[in-house]
Amino acid sequence: MTSITQEDVLLILRLLDESAFDELHVETEDLKLSARKHGKGIGLEEASLAESKSEPAITREPILTEVQDQSLSAMKSAGSNAEAQLPKQTGEQSAASQGLVPIKAPMLGTFYRTPKPGAPPYVDVGSLVNEDDPVCIIEVMKLFNTVKAGVRGRIAQICAEQGQMVEFQQTLFLIEKIHEEKDQPKASCA
Amino acid sequence: MKRISCLLVANRGEIAVRIIRACQDLGIKTVLAASEADRESLPAKMADRVVCIGPASPTESYLKVGTLIMAAVGSGAEAVHPGYGFLAEQPELPEACARYSLIFVGPKAEQIRQMGDKILARQMAKDLGIPIISGSGLIQDLGQAIPAAEKLGYPVLLKAAAGGGGRGMKIARQPKDLEIIFTEASAEAYAAFGDSRLYLERFIPRARHIEIQIMGDQHGKIVQLGERDCSLQRRYQKMVEEAPSPVLSSDLRAAMGEAALALAHQIQYENAGTIEFLLDQDGMKFYFLEMNTRIQVEHPVTEMITGRDLVKEQILIAGGRPLSFSQEDVKLKGHSIECRINAESPQQGFRPCPGRMDLWKAPRGDGIRVDSHCYTGYFVPPHYDSLLAKVIAWGRNRLEAIVRIQKALGDFGVTGVETTIPFHRFLLRNPDFLQGAVHTRWIEDVLLKEFEQHGRDYLC
Repeated sequence: MTSITQEDVLLILRLLDESAFDELHVETEDLKLSARKHGKGIGLEEASLAESKSEPAITREPILTEVQDQSLSAMKSAGSNAEAQLPKQTGEQSAASQGLVPIKAPMLGTFYRTPKPGAPPYVDVGSLVNEDDPVCIIEVMKLFNTVKAGVRGRIAQICAEQGQMVEFQQTLFLIEKIHEEKDQPKASCA
Repeated sequence: MKRISCLLVANRGEIAVRIIRACQDLGIKTVLAASEADRESLPAKMADRVVCIGPASPTESYLKVGTLIMAAVGSGAEAVHPGYGFLAEQPELPEACARYSLIFVGPKAEQIRQMGDKILARQMAKDLGIPIISGSGLIQDLGQAIPAAEKLGYPVLLKAAAGGGGRGMKIARQPKDLEIIFTEASAEAYAAFGDSRLYLERFIPRARHIEIQIMGDQHGKIVQLGERDCSLQRRYQKMVEEAPSPVLSSDLRAAMGEAALALAHQIQYENAGTIEFLLDQDGMKFYFLEMNTRIQVEHPVTEMITGRDLVKEQILIAGGRPLSFSQEDVKLKGHSIECRINAESPQQGFRPCPGRMDLWKAPRGDGIRVDSHCYTGYFVPPHYDSLLAKVIAWGRNRLEAIVRIQKALGDFGVTGVETTIPFHRFLLRNPDFLQGAVHTRWIEDVLLKEFEQHGRDYLC
């Protein structure tokens, strides 16, 4: 029985990505692979009966954590030299999974970063925002609609241009989410 | 005169495709205003640019004047074509266009208003000596409706003052009917037009629906391009249209054309419009019904027999060009028939059937034209009207046109969604239709009953 290579794994992932299914399980004599779409994570585990007799073809630690759709298609485009790409993918993965959340345009209109001409902008890159903080205005025929952040975090990127038309659901900002309980082990309250 | 180099298409479906084609011919770039549900549609693939204007629901996208204006301004379009339906007959759109220095491809807001009020339009026609069906003024309540109906004589039609297209229209055969339908009709009128006002009209049985195509430029020139016979309707929705009408004498045709021109001149009408008449077949008398201030679904049959591209003409006129032809140049040649193919199940009371199209094989052939936005794999969204395609045939005479359209509908291959194709196949072989002996209620009163019995044979 030939062991599974990284290329095989990529092929399997590609099949999953192109399929309508959310999950995929592959079992061979000495390997069990489970893959899931939509960021639920992919784990590799050896079948218990083949308890590490030979060197496993793939490292035992999960090669991809929080796989998202985009990364699957990125891998798809990586094509033939996918093997070389794999470790890099893992790096990009962590960047993508840092939790950048888009603020999308609730309507088509003209994008303004300031409450009125000459005023300072609502937010800049690096600004901290709460859910209810206004971040921009979208004007539709002299009607000014204030857009709120909708999420707590730090403005990582401004994706629309001042005074330009934005379409419905166009990404206006990317927000780096801030988690309150981040890395804080729960103190025992008992 | 303004040169249009980029035009916003404020519509969807087959008419969006039709407008984009006309623009491509004229060397005009197009921006399609598309809802989220239409981002992958055929017009979206054809347009030079697609701008997403909102979610699928029309009230959140295609019916938002401000959003469409912003889409036009933001994308650098100089003109807006409204197509038909949606905002095509809302004066607010041309008004907003004017405020933002955009060219509206259609009439002036004022002209839409004048013809939008059906009671006012009737009065205008009457003043010009154009016959109108005897009717009442505005009816406030049932108390006024009963004596007014008595005066006209039953059966009477209850109609919405604010609009046409059969919405808010009900027939009462006796005073008892009136009590029931008055509330229904006013509620329906309110739902359709935001205006519950009604009026009464004498009902003419066995009537034909005949309309005259008008085209006017900004320099006071107006021409008429002959009639279309749209008598084949189901619940006031047209299913088959043809030009010329199989029953109109040349005298009657000329008289109706003159009446249409008189009305259009009265309001110095600009751009494409249609003046609808009812023809009482018993005395061969015609009556003014209403005017539609837009391009119509069935405009291709007129194009086929006149050789004129009405949508291109609309765009050129809107840019200030004079009409490219005069009344003397309008020559009717041959005969044309159009069948509207809807995503509806004729076996199940014409229930709409949205869904994925597994196969779309449109017919081709001499004298056959198919206006459609469909393709194999297209998903018919459930949010909009069910029109999938218009199959249009031209022949040197009516018989040749019928034979060609029969063949075309026989060749039409659609699977995945149910369509009205089998119903059209059935209709096109009916002896009454072949003889032209039909009226506006013929489909409902006669043909549908026969279809229930024999329609299965035409499924395949």
